[in-house]
Parts: sequence; structure tokens; C-alpha cells
Amino acid sequence: MNKRYLLSLSLLVALAIALTFFKVPIASSQGLTLVAAQMSGDLPATDPNSDLWQKATAVQVPLSAQNVTRPILLDTRVKSVTTRALHNGSQIVILVEWADETRNEQMVRVQDFRDAVAVQFPLAEGQPFFCMGQLGGNVNIWHWKADWQADIAALQDMETLYPNMYTDQYPFAVGALPAPADYTDANYVPALASGNLFAAVHASPVEDVIAGGFGSLTAQPADGQNVQGFGAWAAGKWQVIFSRDLTSKEQDDAAFTPGKMYSIAFAAWDGENNERNGQKSTSQWISLQVEGAAKVTNPPASGSANSQMNLQVILVLFGPIALIVLLTLGLVGIVFLISKLPD
Amino acid sequence: MNRFPIFFRWLVATALVDWLIGRMVTRSAIAMPKSPPVIAVYQALTVFGQLAFTFTGLLTLLVAIWIAWQSWQTRRATGLAFALPILIVLNTISLFVASAGWLAVGYQLLVMAAAAIVGGQVWRGDGEIKKKIAWSIPALALLAGGLYQVLPAFYVALRWSGPPPFTELLFNVGELLVVFSPVGLWWAVGQDAVSPYKWATIPALAFVAAYLLNPALTAIIAIWSTGLTLYLPWPLYALSLWLASAVVIVSLRRGDAEGWALLLLAAGGYAPQLSTQALLGLAGLWLLNSAPDSQPGAGTSLQPASQPIPVLSQTTAKAGKS
Repeated sequence: MNKRYLLSLSLLVALAIALTFFKVPIASSQGLTLVAAQMSGDLPATDPNSDLWQKATAVQVPLSAQNVTRPILLDTRVKSVTTRALHNGSQIVILVEWADETRNEQMVRVQDFRDAVAVQFPLAEGQPFFCMGQLGGNVNIWHWKADWQADIAALQDMETLYPNMYTDQYPFAVGALPAPADYTDANYVPALASGNLFAAVHASPVEDVIAGGFGSLTAQPADGQNVQGFGAWAAGKWQVIFSRDLTSKEQDDAAFTPGKMYSIAFAAWDGENNERNGQKSTSQWISLQVEGAAKVTNPPASGSANSQMNLQVILVLFGPIALIVLLTLGLVGIVFLISKLPD
Repeated sequence: MNRFPIFFRWLVATALVDWLIGRMVTRSAIAMPKSPPVIAVYQALTVFGQLAFTFTGLLTLLVAIWIAWQSWQTRRATGLAFALPILIVLNTISLFVASAGWLAVGYQLLVMAAAAIVGGQVWRGDGEIKKKIAWSIPALALLAGGLYQVLPAFYVALRWSGPPPFTELLFNVGELLVVFSPVGLWWAVGQDAVSPYKWATIPALAFVAAYLLNPALTAIIAIWSTGLTLYLPWPLYALSLWLASAVVIVSLRRGDAEGWALLLLAAGGYAPQLSTQALLGLAGLWLLNSAPDSQPGAGTSLQPASQPIPVLSQTTAKAGKS
């Protein structure tokens, strides 16, 4: 290889190292994109059949059995979900639909498992491992549960499944078959008293959790459960809506800004097939684009703050462009000079 | 292969590193024990893979510019002279503007148009019909993948409710074409007096062993590294890999470009998720259709490598040897 080619190769390698070191992208994603269409007015947070959903383009996301870590169930039933998303500048709603011949919304017996669906967002930059995130790459998961949905309508317990069961007495409770709220002393319902979400009366059928890899699933505190949901089953199909404010003050919540792109992944469980925990169907990451222009919600109070923010915007927007232009011009210039060298 | 500038060889080498290390070996980390030495090794491999990905992207852009220049100078497949630079511009715009809606539609349509232009070239000259068919299969696979990706983008751009129909069928048909591409190439040009099949069994046997030992992990790595879902019976993939390896070996022996082209197509993947991977696939398809065997009656109308693009100095026939 002559000197000219060697120098060209060296320059290209140097450019590649610089672009990699400064994390300057040279390729864009061309994969599946879910666009959260912008609309005005109230969002259809409890009506999966609302005509407003037609304003959003549906995306069919393929799922496959989770087969990376135990417990594994290779023959899961949910093969794909169809999803749409809307936002009105302050809230976002995501509709997820999938086929399921059976409605499994009871978790009373130990051998019963619920139907469920979850959406997942990365909390760190980039795309962590799609299956529950990774160390240093936490994810925020919104986990809708069919039994929690049913509990909101009517709390299910042993009496739901065995209506003729008999109990002698529930100490420190009022009534023959008391609900948790009927206990006069909360110490005798310790799970409820300690704030265990599974014991509490569910305000939402969605559990807001974070994870940083297998086995690290952690529920957010009770006062941090800010995701609402609604699910309905009819004619062999589940329709589930997740709704939440676009932004959140909590550090462990995914936040969305109109005009930006995010990543989203899905998981689904068919209770009839004994699917639970890691025995589920999952998707790869796809792109979520929140439609619209970014709004300045908090205008700077002073001129100095305004100029500082402008400088930051300039650096963030034009920094990568300037770097690419400078490096490219440098490369072209050096190659031109090399071309003038004698053989 | 000496007829092409040296950066084609660089591209093949870095694309293989990006594919095999950046998208295959590093992804196997999920199944490895997480001891500190193993973690350190995989971290190093990840950095190396990222570097290879960036280098491959740069070379892909360079090759695309060169192909566009060649198409303009030779007045052969002139559409490429416009399509490829526009694709590069769209690729750059997509780095700062979300690639959705009409931007995504335009990009995918241009990729499909470029694939159709390159694939259509083989039917213009005189030649054996079996070679024309064999050269068309990879182009059809790229078209199927492009169609699979452009349909959802169309629906978003037109604000149709969707979801678009037949996407799963389209994807599966494209994957079938990908699997049969090496079969067609082997049928057309891969049969050699000196049998390549002994060495060609190595990658095929590695796939078979991996699939039989751990089909789930093999499927994960396959979809991450090539975009294939392995929905067909696994012997078909083994056969395809075996024949692809045979074609690569035969073409390397002969000094032909088919093997290099096949490697670029494999590195680009099916229905690629990244814009530079789509360009890589187009470069592989162009290389395949510029090989002498693809135009047996017309001969090549490429500029010889002794007259590279003007930004490099006047290189003599020495360039053909490097």
C-alpha cells in the first residue's frame, strides 16, 4: 500500500476515533416508529373505541418469548401488539391492543395468573438492554394488571371464588367479611399498613416501577404512582390505555417533550398460559416520536439566564454540526495536500 | 476485485468487524458469566465494535459517493448519481431531525429506487437467464425489506389510521428471498472445479451447533446481527450459509467480486435499522451487479481503478495491485 493510501486510511481511522470518542452519530434509525399524534382537548383515557384514536397511526409490534434468562417459557401466546399514542401537550395516552381468547383477571388462587401488558422506557441516554434494562441503564416500566383493573370495580378475594365459604371471625374488624378498610387497627393488616401496593386499594390498575436488569424490579413509592390505566376485554381482544402527564418531577419517571424521539418497548402476559414474571412475550425497542414543536414552558426570568440558555442551545445544536464540518474540511484539505505529494 | 478502489476492501474488512464483533460477539455477553475478566474483555470488544461501526459508516458514505460519481461518469445507471447523494443528505438531516413521516418515506423510497436501478442493470445486457435470475434475488430481497419499512412510514405521513396490512407477510417473503440469494448465486457462479464445500461447512456447522444447543440465543443474535427471524426451518438457513460460504471461497479464488458483495450484503442486514446499513446493502448490491459475471455479454463499463476519483492523485496501474 503506498504512502497516499496509508495516509488516507490513517486519517479515516483518526476521524472514526474522534467521532466515536465525541459520540457524534453518523447513522440515523430507520426502524419502526410510533408517533404520538398531537391533538387538542381531552384525551380518550378511558375509551379505547373513541374515534379520537383514529388520529394516531397504529403500529404493529412483534413480540417473542423472553428467552434470555430463567424462568423461560418458550411457547408464549401473545405474538404481537397493536399500539397507538396521542398527546395534547400536557398528557400522553398509549393504547395497546392484543388478541387473547380468555379473560384472566383473577389472582386469588395460587395457580391463577393474570393477563397483563407493560410498556417500558429507558431512563438513561441510548437503549439499554430491552429486557428490563441493565446495570447503569435503568428503565421505567408501566405495568397494567388485569386483576388490579377488576379490583377497582370490585375487590376480589377468596369469597369471589368461593361464595359459600364460611369464616368464624375476623378480629379487630367490623363486619362478617371485612374489606381492608373495615379493620379498626391497621396493625392487623400489616401489608396495607406498610404501604404494600399489592395490599392497598388500587387507585390505578397500573404499577409504576423501575428496573436495572433482571431481578431488580422495584415499585416506586405509593405517592409516586402517577400512571393511570384502563383496560377492557371484548370478543377475544384486550384494549389497554396508559395515561400520564408528559412530564414528571420524579427522577425515576420517563419524561416526554413534544418534538423529541424516545424508545419504547412492550411486554405482554397471557394468564391462561400460566405466563408470569419472566415468562412473557417481549418486543425489541422501537422509536416513539412525540409529535409537535418543543414548548418553552418556563421562560427565563432574567436576561443573563436567557443568554446562558441561548448559548447552551447553540452549543447543543450546532456543536455536533460544527465538529463534523471541521473534521470533514480538515480531511478534505489534508487529502488535497497529500495529493500534491510526489509518489 | 482489483478493478475497484482500495477502499472497497477496507469497507468489507471493517463491515465484517462491525457485523461479527459489534453486532454478534458482543451481543453474546448476555449468556456469558459476568466475572471481572470477562466483563473487561467484553467492554473492550464493545469499544472496538463501536469504532468499527463508525469507520464502516464513514467508508460506506465514501463508497456511496464514489458509486454515484462512477454512475455519472459512465452514464450507466445514471439514477444512482442522484439517488445516492440525496440519500447521504437525508442521512445527515436525519441525525438532527427525527426520521419519521415524509422524511422516512423519502429515504426508504430512494433506497428502493436505488436497489431497483442496480438490480435492473443485470437485465439490460445479454447473458444467461439463470445468472440474471440469480443476480435479481438479492435486489428483490432489498426491495421487500424497503417496502416493509416504507409502509408504516407512509401511513404516518398520510395520517392514516392503520396498521398497514400484509407487513408480516412482506417481511417473511423478504426473508425467504434473503435465504435463497446465496442459493441462486451458487447455482449461477459458485460451482467450481476445486470443491469449496469442505471449508464452507465451518460457518454452517457453527450455526447448526449453536441452534441445536441454544435456539433462543441463536435466534436473538441472528435477529440483532442480520435482521432475520429464523422463522423458516433451520436446515434452510444452514444450507444458505453453506452455499454463501462456498460462493465467497470460489470468488476469492478467482479474484471476483461476488464474494465481497455477498459479505457486504450480509453485513448490511435485512430490513436494516440504521441508515448506513441500508447504504451498505446498496453498495453490496452494486458490487454484485458490477462483477463481470453479471454482464457477460456487455462487459464492464466501469472506469479502471487506475483512474480513481479526482480527489486522489493520478494513480497508475499500481493502484490495481494494492
